[in-house]
Amino acid sequence: MLRRTIYVVLVAAVAAFAVYWWLTAPTAVALPAPTRGPDLANGQELFNAGGCSSCHAVPNQSDRLRLGGGLALGSPFGTFYAPNISPDPTDGIGRWSEADFVNAVTRGVSPQGTHYFPAFPYTSYHIAEVDDVRDLFAYLKTLPPVSGRVRDHDLPFPFNIRRNVGIWKLLFMDVGPFVPAATQSAQWNRGAYLVNGFGHCAECHSPRNVLGGLISSQRFAGGPNPEGEGWVPNITQKGIGDWSEKDIADFLETGDMPEGDSASGAMRPVIKNLAQLKPEDRAAMAAYLKSLPPVDGPTPPKRKEAGG
Amino acid sequence: MKRMFVVAGTLLLGAGAVMAQQEVAVQQDNLMRSQAKSLYTVILKTTKGDIPYNQKAVDEAIANLEADVAKIAKTFEVNPKQDVVNATYGSSPKVWQNKADFDSKIPPVQKALADVKGKITDVASLKAAYTAINDRCNDCHETYRLKLK
Repeated sequence: MLRRTIYVVLVAAVAAFAVYWWLTAPTAVALPAPTRGPDLANGQELFNAGGCSSCHAVPNQSDRLRLGGGLALGSPFGTFYAPNISPDPTDGIGRWSEADFVNAVTRGVSPQGTHYFPAFPYTSYHIAEVDDVRDLFAYLKTLPPVSGRVRDHDLPFPFNIRRNVGIWKLLFMDVGPFVPAATQSAQWNRGAYLVNGFGHCAECHSPRNVLGGLISSQRFAGGPNPEGEGWVPNITQKGIGDWSEKDIADFLETGDMPEGDSASGAMRPVIKNLAQLKPEDRAAMAAYLKSLPPVDGPTPPKRKEAGG
Repeated sequence: MKRMFVVAGTLLLGAGAVMAQQEVAVQQDNLMRSQAKSLYTVILKTTKGDIPYNQKAVDEAIANLEADVAKIAKTFEVNPKQDVVNATYGSSPKVWQNKADFDSKIPPVQKALADVKGKITDVASLKAAYTAINDRCNDCHETYRLKLK
């Protein structure tokens, strides 16, 4: 009897583990052969739209193209450290293939076939066109190699188990490609692509549930800063209904707001990146953002103790 | 009876301390607002053509900024440990965790102001001055200013 119970439990455990393993398996995409050579200018544009430098540049130095990583990114699940994505062959991505890079950016899967944590916003980047990601890779390869491996993330159990990210992706990550809206202009569609893809605006400007998944009904409606302090504003028309399309485009370039203020906090580095974009790309992002219907987000705390 | 006095006294003192802290936060907020008025309501609006170029107003704004910036280190000496009621922006606790670094952001603003003082004569030179000054403001706001709602 006892032996039979043990046997049943063992079989159930093996079966459960097999299901877990199957559910959490990282899925990589097969990369089609390139149809054209890399466009470095396009790669640079997407590098700036994607804000790669804000997380991956070496902190506390002024060169935003030294992508040695090391920035600490706080979250309710622990502290992430942005890795080295410079072309250094040992510590960066110098030995990566194009397929490795496309899978990392659009699927959140490492060259070793493990999951990246979604602190890396592949949940937005997944809508990127493969050719755009190829151009970005080619551009990154032109930047200076920086040596030095970044320390491991500092995450408590169970968040440190990468395999669990597979479940998280099933719950919260959509892997469909970008589908242009036929009823909208080319400019609007370009804006939607940049804002939702490389720009990954929703990653900070939307509230998250307890598991860290975006609450899609309140996309762009703001919420608590995932890094801990302060509030990220609502950028639907509920929040910036007073801003004209031009106000938004100007803001993305300079950080200056129509009400007479200037962006601060984590938005500041974002402006530094967006200021480098072609004006038509900022205008496209503005056209798309201006079209977002007003949505109520979570209510900020009435009076937050700053704490000492 | 005696106990009531003690309790009432303690409550009053407590309320007084809270008020004082709120007052500190308000003073800090007012100092920043005063600079925002010079930099954004006067200078930025002029660069955008929202208001006509007025040499006197511009010179005054620069002078006011100089005076206000000189007060930052002192006004932010004490951590009020609370935000101004219903404020949209506040100070990060990091100001007082790294007060020396916070203070080190001030001289570059003063230098930017000194560099442009007396050299602004038209919208173009004002625009350049605005960017030079505002960039130095941002160097600090990036880390130490918090949006609260």
